[in-house]
Amino acid sequence: MSQRLRLALALTALAAGLVDLALLLRAGEDRPGPLAYLLVAIIGVSWSFAAAGLVAWSRRPDNRTGALMVTVGLAYLLNGLLLNGVTLVRAPLGFELWFLVATLPEAVLAHLIAVYPDGRATTRLQRLFVVANYAATVPLALAQLLLVDPASLGCAECPDDLLALGGRHPYGEAVLAVSNLLLAVLGALLLWIVVTRWRQTPGPRRRSLAPVALVGVVLLAVYMIQQTLTAVMPSPPSLVKTGLDLAILTTLVLWPLAFLAGLARTRLDHSAVGDLAIELSETLPPGRLEQALARALRDPTLRLAYWLPDRCAFVDAAGRSVELDGEVADDRAVTILRQGGDPVAALLHHAALDDDPALVQAVAATARMTIENGRLHAEVRAQLEEVRASRARIVEFGDAERRRVERNLHDGAQQRLVNVSLALGIARSQVGTAADEELAAALDEAAAELRCALAELRELARGIHPVILTEAGLGPALAALAERSPIPVTVAPVPPERLPPRVEETAYYVASEALANAAKHARATAVTISARRRDGDLVVEVGDDGVGGADPDGSGLRGLADRVAVLDGRLRVHSPAGEGTRITAELPCAW
Amino acid sequence: MRPTVLIVDDHPGFRSLARKLLAAGGFEVVGEAADGHAAIDAARELRPDVVLLDIQLPGIDGFEVAERLRDGAAGPAVVLVSSRDRADYGARVEQCGARGFIPKAELSVDAMRALMGATG
Repeated sequence: MSQRLRLALALTALAAGLVDLALLLRAGEDRPGPLAYLLVAIIGVSWSFAAAGLVAWSRRPDNRTGALMVTVGLAYLLNGLLLNGVTLVRAPLGFELWFLVATLPEAVLAHLIAVYPDGRATTRLQRLFVVANYAATVPLALAQLLLVDPASLGCAECPDDLLALGGRHPYGEAVLAVSNLLLAVLGALLLWIVVTRWRQTPGPRRRSLAPVALVGVVLLAVYMIQQTLTAVMPSPPSLVKTGLDLAILTTLVLWPLAFLAGLARTRLDHSAVGDLAIELSETLPPGRLEQALARALRDPTLRLAYWLPDRCAFVDAAGRSVELDGEVADDRAVTILRQGGDPVAALLHHAALDDDPALVQAVAATARMTIENGRLHAEVRAQLEEVRASRARIVEFGDAERRRVERNLHDGAQQRLVNVSLALGIARSQVGTAADEELAAALDEAAAELRCALAELRELARGIHPVILTEAGLGPALAALAERSPIPVTVAPVPPERLPPRVEETAYYVASEALANAAKHARATAVTISARRRDGDLVVEVGDDGVGGADPDGSGLRGLADRVAVLDGRLRVHSPAGEGTRITAELPCAW
Repeated sequence: MRPTVLIVDDHPGFRSLARKLLAAGGFEVVGEAADGHAAIDAARELRPDVVLLDIQLPGIDGFEVAERLRDGAAGPAVVLVSSRDRADYGARVEQCGARGFIPKAELSVDAMRALMGATG
């Protein structure tokens, strides 16, 4: 249906243009201007708008820009037919009819410029302009016909007393001046709309918009100069008038050409698909695919998310979850790439790319294999991420359990034994030393045993969770560790600031485990502990002078390595036989 | 005149035993409190010579209570107690302004008098 309509409109424009041409040629000396000028002004402008409009219409049937351009072309053709008809029949009524609709082509053109490239008014200012633009057209012409001397409008044969004013037109000049000023204001408003839209247009869309915007601004600027000049100077120098007319005519012809140039630029964008295909012929690291797509689509904000069917979620190349809802914004859009109806990936891009869905689909089709590879890679990364998170949760749970057990010991058994100890002390103070020597000795013995039990219980609780780490930080905790060690330990100065709890705990357990190994297995006689900051990391190093040969895969060091890995850190064990052991943990502090 | 004592601990059993121990040793126990805020209120109301203050308390802990009680020029002497070791708390015992620390199991009249006599 749409295709037939376009064909019919094309034939209409062709036929009307040919009729215009015939009328112009026949008019001879009666033509209202030079033949070349009229040929370009009527037929050149009309056909260029109609042709470019039909191209735009066929490419984007859902966008009204093409239909508006065709309307502009047809309006100019109709205008030409009426003008030529008036010239031929020389009837005043014909002139008045032509005069009433003579500004319609410009009104439709102004409408087109105001709503380009969306094809419809999307802002309140645009809607206001479109309404005012059409409202001013016919009423202004009518006011001029009624109040201005027809001769000054270009019709010497027309009656000059349409309002029975006896040939006098006292308001004529004022009406003309107000009309011209009103049109100049409308022109300024349109210029404002064009400039504002250009400033708000994002990068990817500007490429295709640039030629049209440039020509449009020039056209409007010249038009405003012409209107303002006519308003303040009823009879401008003919050179100036001709120059302005030619400038407007040139930009009018150029506007559709600029539009086609914009389309060509979009087509050039499609050549980026070829570049992408070449780039993808080499193996790309997963993260680089997103950059390659961003280059091909000329959208530096583009992000690529892969669909993981098992998780029913999108993730990035690193396996991190991506929320598409977070991308919902006026200037953001999401294109889901599918294979056999199932989602494979999503492109999160600038909304401007929605103007050219074919380009997006072409790029996606070119990159389909690489995207599938990237999706598999992202799936593995997501599983690794899940394993890492799971390990972190296990460590976190273990630490929380340690804290809970230590607190229970402190509040429960320890507290009860303390009370027993106090009760024994009270009983002991009430026993006379001479009278009940045996009882006093028994109480003293019980108190001593109780002190030992309490000391052992405190040591056990400390091993489960070192309270000093929470209370005082890493430095005092390492110092306390050194004090309790059976072998001499030197602790280098520790950064005084408090670090994230997980970092402090991991650093403490590294030192604690290394110290225990040095005492139990390495037969060391001296140990050094250092903890220092380096490039945002905390580097913990424990060295001993023992026999070396520590097994990094032993349960203690393996557990330490797991704990360090939870923080994305690294644990290194250097333990050549006979040369002591050095355990180094690099712990990122961004937790 | 017998020195007056306020006992602060969230375990009633410990408060009861400490009261007996200190009363038998010549101290006058003027009050008890079970948490940090009650301890501060009681100390300001009863004006004891000594506050026997557990470190692990519901709400604000013993260190913070000691720091707040230190504000007054004629504040009480604060003796911290805990079933943990002093070493478990690092330098916080000194920093909070307490007169000293006694492990709960070693609480005795002699230990209290020694601390009170340490600064006269």
